[in-house]
Amino acid sequence: MRASRRGVLAGGLALGATTLPGCAYIRDDVPTRAPLPASARAKVDGDLVYFNWADYLAPSVVKGFQEEYGVKVIESNYDSMEGMYAKLAAGNQYDVVFPIAKWVVKLRQEGKLRAIDHAELTNADQVFYSGSYFNDPWYDAGSQASVPFTVYKTGVGWRTDRVSTMTGSWKDLWNDEARGRIFTLDDQDEALAMAALLLGYDVNTADPGELDDIKDVLISQKDYLRAYSSDDINNMVAGDAWVHHMWSGDFLYLRQGLADDPTTFDFESPSEGAPINSDAYVIPANARHPGTAMLFIDYLLRPENAVTNMNYLYYPFPVKDALPAFADLAKDVPACNIELGDLENENVFRLLDTDEVQRRAAVWTEVKAS
Amino acid sequence: MTTVEQGDVHTGTRRSAQRTSLWGWLLALPTAWMVTFFVSSMALIVMLSFGRTTNDGYPAFAASTANYRAIWNEVYLELFLRSLLYALATVVISALIAYPVAYAIALHGGRYKNALIAAIVVPFFASYLVRMYAWKALLSDDGLVNSGLRASGISDGVTFLNTPWAVVGGLVYGFVVFMILPVYASLERLDTSLIEAGKDLYHGPVRTFVGVTLPATRAGLYGGALLVFLPALGDFVSAQLLGGASTYMMGNLVQQQFAEGQNWPLGSALTVGMMAALTVLMVAYLRATATRGGER
Repeated sequence: MRASRRGVLAGGLALGATTLPGCAYIRDDVPTRAPLPASARAKVDGDLVYFNWADYLAPSVVKGFQEEYGVKVIESNYDSMEGMYAKLAAGNQYDVVFPIAKWVVKLRQEGKLRAIDHAELTNADQVFYSGSYFNDPWYDAGSQASVPFTVYKTGVGWRTDRVSTMTGSWKDLWNDEARGRIFTLDDQDEALAMAALLLGYDVNTADPGELDDIKDVLISQKDYLRAYSSDDINNMVAGDAWVHHMWSGDFLYLRQGLADDPTTFDFESPSEGAPINSDAYVIPANARHPGTAMLFIDYLLRPENAVTNMNYLYYPFPVKDALPAFADLAKDVPACNIELGDLENENVFRLLDTDEVQRRAAVWTEVKAS
Repeated sequence: MTTVEQGDVHTGTRRSAQRTSLWGWLLALPTAWMVTFFVSSMALIVMLSFGRTTNDGYPAFAASTANYRAIWNEVYLELFLRSLLYALATVVISALIAYPVAYAIALHGGRYKNALIAAIVVPFFASYLVRMYAWKALLSDDGLVNSGLRASGISDGVTFLNTPWAVVGGLVYGFVVFMILPVYASLERLDTSLIEAGKDLYHGPVRTFVGVTLPATRAGLYGGALLVFLPALGDFVSAQLLGGASTYMMGNLVQQQFAEGQNWPLGSALTVGMMAALTVLMVAYLRATATRGGER
């Protein structure tokens, strides 16, 4: 059974001890805001050192790349964005990494990324075409250092055979019928965003007064809650959850890929708004084989490879000619589909200042501890 | 550690002096290892507990007591007490499980003793995490146990997961072997003629056990209690995988500071604070047992 996508506790806990780097990470100097190192040419310059969430691309696609280009793909995994960042900050060298948008901002600001010349990618027009959102996304001006990978949405999944009173609102995470069988994602950004949307606040709010309200809302949910967990797929499959705060692709995998009877599961994108975020491919500045990495990214942009990956991961890849295949995959649960136009919204997780992150963390800690 | 003491005691002859220096050399490597990987990392944590986080999210050294003021918080105290309670429950339940198991193997295992001990130890070679996931599969609402209960008509299903009991159960399952082994070792060493003597002195089996066997194996129980208590108190896996909305433990709190919270200095201060509290408890415990040992 595949573990939940973003929550991946399995990897998370196992790697927990190893993701904390040595003291090289503790430093006092301000990171550089140097210009991007020039893009590499797309040609084989060694084996590919690949750094991603576990189980995140179809194995057949990775195998195909190795055979076509005669290189090996050496895979390492991370369990969290913090873990990924800590490894990079400690100086580990990888050729291609898959950060969530706000981490692209951070890595780029700190001079940790190499430029990616779109002209080197034969399939660049699949993501960078006239009018594409990704020509100039909020997290990377001009997509100079990143290429879009997947997009995802957060909403509410539920068991139609157990719960009949869903309303299309985040309030469904307080559903009486499912009291004691409701799960909220064990994720600071997602949990705070859910309460913020319910209150009509910005998903990134760090305003102390608003955070107090968010805390009250989340604590009021505890009477209904079974647990905080990011293992959304397994909690649903095992029957522990009747209503689950969950990620769109995890839901689709659960419904289309695992469930005996898909009609007993449904998903909604709440009316108050839902967090929509995206992941990207980046090449670290210290990559030893940036040329192979360029080829790899180009290879993943081929529509047929994107389709294979989508059928494995159940998250949409914003590759133009592959999007119809995803719409087809999600046709029974349109709420899991993400139109490119949906990306133009305010509910993205932005890079916050440390004091803001810590204020939010303190609220989240108090909620979980209470 | 005992070898060092022996060396100190027998310094009279040349031969034992040589042995002492040999032991000294042999100890150099583990000492270097401990200093490099244990003492220095502890020192880093202590130093960082006075640190701060830069605006770019990097932990940095400083001379601030803000983290220690921050951990003086009602919510954290409550968490500490909850963790203490879970860890103590784990010790008690582990002892209740471990003692009969160790007793049966040590006194009635016969030639299967080693095989039985191996049967207990081998499953612990599998990752703790994997075993927790197995628990989830067994105990979930539609899991094997509940399916069995429903099929046999015993019950409509029991909510095992996401309760404090599930957390304690996970901890017991994770650490009970640390109780079985020392208790087994002390029972192995037990002179069975003592038990016979106890019976001869008109004790029934219960009184023999309470008056003879149990006191003679106290050291094993104490050792086991310590070995179970410490990892249980700092654990975060069980609460994260098997716990509910209100079973957060100290380990989870510390782990969160190092991950999403982006607050390594606070995490370090929590670690140091917890170690300080544990040291106080431990010293009190050792003094109490030392006194009792002296009475024997």
